Amino acid sequence: MSFARQITAITTVVIAATVSLNVSASESLFGVIKGAETLPAGAMEIYQKVNRRSDKDTGDYVAYDFTTEVEYGFSNRFSGSAALKMLSLDTSGLIIDGYLPSANDFGLKLSGMEVAGKYMFLSPAKDDIGLSVYMSGNYDWIDPHSGQDKDTFSIETDVQLQKYFLEGEMIWATNFGVEMTYADRAEIDNLPEDFDWPTDPEMEIELKVGTGLSYRVAPKWFVGVETFYETEFETEVGQERWSIFAGPSLHYGSAEWWATLAWLKQIEGGGEQYENQPDNSLHLIEKTKQELTFMVGFNF
Amino acid sequence: MSVDFRNSLLWFPVAALSVPAYAVDYFTIAEAQKMLFPSAQQFLVNDIEFSDDDKDKIKDLAGVRQRHDKQPVWKAQANGEQIGWFIVDDVVGKHEYITYGLAIDMQGKVIGLEIMSYRETHGSEVRRQNWRDQFVGKQVNEEFALDEDIQNISGATLSCRNLTDGVKRLLVIHQMALAKL
Repeated sequence: MSFARQITAITTVVIAATVSLNVSASESLFGVIKGAETLPAGAMEIYQKVNRRSDKDTGDYVAYDFTTEVEYGFSNRFSGSAALKMLSLDTSGLIIDGYLPSANDFGLKLSGMEVAGKYMFLSPAKDDIGLSVYMSGNYDWIDPHSGQDKDTFSIETDVQLQKYFLEGEMIWATNFGVEMTYADRAEIDNLPEDFDWPTDPEMEIELKVGTGLSYRVAPKWFVGVETFYETEFETEVGQERWSIFAGPSLHYGSAEWWATLAWLKQIEGGGEQYENQPDNSLHLIEKTKQELTFMVGFNF
Repeated sequence: MSVDFRNSLLWFPVAALSVPAYAVDYFTIAEAQKMLFPSAQQFLVNDIEFSDDDKDKIKDLAGVRQRHDKQPVWKAQANGEQIGWFIVDDVVGKHEYITYGLAIDMQGKVIGLEIMSYRETHGSEVRRQNWRDQFVGKQVNEEFALDEDIQNISGATLSCRNLTDGVKRLLVIHQMALAKL
């Protein structure tokens, strides 16, 4: 698919979600899309997120990302957070030149950390539309795709929009984001012959856009749908990948705690593909065919 | 109204005033009636039912939809004479509904508002007397803009907005259906 067609696809996704469908203080109604609200001053929440990435169409691939996060409301408009990340991976039967050098199987281990801040310029509950800017800095020391040692520093900036409909029973959120990454892979011994595993530092830029709609079907219960597009450009290969994911979400929220379950399926993707990839309409090197996300948060 | 408040809230255990931050039910209907009309000896049921046209008109005049087909209303009586109206309503909170009682005098002015149930993580500041007192004396023809006519409470914005819109809607209902009685 050409870049122009991708732009068309993005526009279609956003417009379709905005037109045909039509998220709480940092409480996630969706798996990926974030709302524009911040925590009130003095409020604190602790979150645990588990993301299961599975299926590259060849061999076996299952990765779990565990993120434990603490968020605090420094003012009614600004909240900050810090998170620790853990990763487990079980992959076999698939070797991807330059990306997945070997089978790998390990349980949970610390893989990275993140600090973030979010400032709400417009409140979705008071203004015509909510608007926040979210910035995060990440340091990861394990490659989330292969499980190999890789130092990654990234800075992400998101613009988050949110609007309430039906006095708050229906919530629409849209995110636009840019992530800039510096990555440096460690050398690996005993690589397959002629296997490409660059160890020179590389720069990547990822662009993201997504939208979601959630409706409160009963007190405390929300059902939603979300979709997002991601594309990544890398120094040597140009556009390395792009993908569109979409899927439903189920959210429960009460005064003391909340939980969200979201399933996301890769609808379409492109860019680099591995040799003899069975389905050429997806990007399956750095992405999987599906993701399952569960989050739970506790309010203090 | 799909929820019959007389069947649900009236029989709830009385919640102590010293309940923690996540308290659910603060007052029963009878308690809220007594607080807003301390001199009343009797409350007579006077529920209002709405047609679709009524609901459309309420939305036009109040700016927000009337979600329920029936509104629980009582006449407050003292010494055999009516001294006002007591209306129970609920508005959308972040996770659940916020239930409140509104007292309106015979001239159509707000006497007072009591939060009967509040079930949200944040924003229980809407129960504070000084915030609720902003509605006292309000009439249907007055402005109800949040942060202009009614001060917002940061961190409780959705609750403030929906309660403010709710009071305006109940004053419209009073004007349409009760003021003529």
